[in-house]
Amino acid sequence: MNKSNRKTGFSTGAQVVIYVFLTFVVLLAILPFLWMIMLSFKTNSQILSNPLSFPTTISLENYRRAIQLLNLGNLYKNTIFIVVVSIAIELCFTFASSFALAKMTFRCKKTRSTLYEFLLLGLAISPFILLFPVYRINTIVHLKEQMGLVMPYVASSVSFNTLLFVGYLKELPSEIDEAAIIDGCNLGQQIIRVIVPMAKPVIATVVVFNVLYIWNEFPFASVILHNTSNYTLALGASFFKGKYNIDYSGMIASSTLMIIPELIFYGIFQKNIVSGMTAGAVKG
Amino acid sequence: MHWLSKKRNILIMLIPTLIVYLVYMIIPIAMAIGYSFTKYTGIGNAKFVGFNNYIRLFRDHTFWIALKNTAVIFVIAFVLLMIGAFVVALLLNLNLKGKSFAQSLIFSPAVIAPIIVGILWVFILDPQIGLINAIIRSLGLGQGIKWIGGQTLTPVSVAIVYFWQQLGYLATIYLAGLKMIPVEIEEAAQIDGASAWQKLWYVTIPMMRSTISTVAILVITGTFKIFEIVQQLTNGGPNHISETLITYSYSATFTNGEYGYGMSLATATFFISLVVIAIYFGLSKEHSRKEAS
Repeated sequence: MNKSNRKTGFSTGAQVVIYVFLTFVVLLAILPFLWMIMLSFKTNSQILSNPLSFPTTISLENYRRAIQLLNLGNLYKNTIFIVVVSIAIELCFTFASSFALAKMTFRCKKTRSTLYEFLLLGLAISPFILLFPVYRINTIVHLKEQMGLVMPYVASSVSFNTLLFVGYLKELPSEIDEAAIIDGCNLGQQIIRVIVPMAKPVIATVVVFNVLYIWNEFPFASVILHNTSNYTLALGASFFKGKYNIDYSGMIASSTLMIIPELIFYGIFQKNIVSGMTAGAVKG
Repeated sequence: MHWLSKKRNILIMLIPTLIVYLVYMIIPIAMAIGYSFTKYTGIGNAKFVGFNNYIRLFRDHTFWIALKNTAVIFVIAFVLLMIGAFVVALLLNLNLKGKSFAQSLIFSPAVIAPIIVGILWVFILDPQIGLINAIIRSLGLGQGIKWIGGQTLTPVSVAIVYFWQQLGYLATIYLAGLKMIPVEIEEAAQIDGASAWQKLWYVTIPMMRSTISTVAILVITGTFKIFEIVQQLTNGGPNHISETLITYSYSATFTNGEYGYGMSLATATFFISLVVIAIYFGLSKEHSRKEAS
């Protein structure tokens, strides 16, 4: 008779199959990363002639070249600048509007739900239809380079942030803010002293999710940033791919240098990232 | 709350968001549709040309290639992801050792920049320097296969890369759905003597209907946004044979500077993706109606 495991309800044989299969999936997920790290220690000619061989010596030459030629420090500085400015603005804007939609009394109930649904439409809009019009609008309102990138990022965050903020704020008990008003808080004080501290978890999720989005964003950046000194990391990533020749080892080393901080960020904020990415999907 | 909800206060709170959203999200769509009826080279004014761009689009060989490639990517990615992510989610839902560690590793590709995903896979799929062909050659199985850059395999490769990138993310969404199924229902099925397969087919999948829809919508909208992967693998080339709708509209707009035509491609792509979503909803509604009757 098959001894079945009490926890999973599967026989030992089936369990082995499940473990083997899951290990295979995990390997599939991480293999490209491992391959990248191995290649990053090899020279161009080694990569071209014999990609499978293990690097004989650990050479950091590729990394040195990547950091120098790419000006990686500057790419990080630009990316962080855009991330910080965009997220500061979007938090102020969308938290205020979500508070209004979740907590304030509208004379006409219909207005509130219509506005809410209108702000969620963005979830279905592909950025690619927006690229050229946004570029045109930027020239009209005289925004370019980095500041020209901030506004589309803020606009892209509206739907997601509204979904999460309104959902969370609606759940907060209204007795608390009523008490704050009776204690003499005005609207601003009420939001900053009472609501924001209570909304910390959802704010963390929104911030982490948007950091990741802006950090990785390529289409808007490629259209709006022209000056190489303003490039973000995502734009710098294809630097080593020339029109006629490709510096493979430079490309792989710079990619490694961009991925590692991101994977560390993921390691630290995994809970927020996963809950943000799934909450947005499940609620939407 | 009433006394703070003066009209003026509500407006102050809403207006910044509304302005940014209108100017950078809603108006651009109207502009894109508007430009799609014009000829515009970036110099001077856009010239209204009626449906000319759409007529050209119908006769444009590259548009049909791009549409076909996008369809191939979509079908393969859809089948692989809908089923693959579901299987992974079912496994992660079991009481296994190390499952949260496995889950976080499987999820990790969804976190990194799509452009880096594209670069990574160049080193795996490239016919000369890629890992797969290197293995094929070292095993003496011939010169390897043209995974990218060839006539037929490029969209398949793009779909597989997209599958790699999205698998863990979509499995996590399925997993969230699985966790919402009440334990009592599963236990009741077990007491009634349902086999594992019966439980899956008659209890789990029907209970997951809304999650399955969510994942389907994400895959549909997602595959119509795959850009960096194609750009890194082949950049639509050689000679436009691996172009997708998005890469073709991007290169028509920004490489060739044909803004009017590029916008007609972008608009067409947008509506095609909406039609696919509508078809999916139509089909799944019919399906659930059949089951109810």
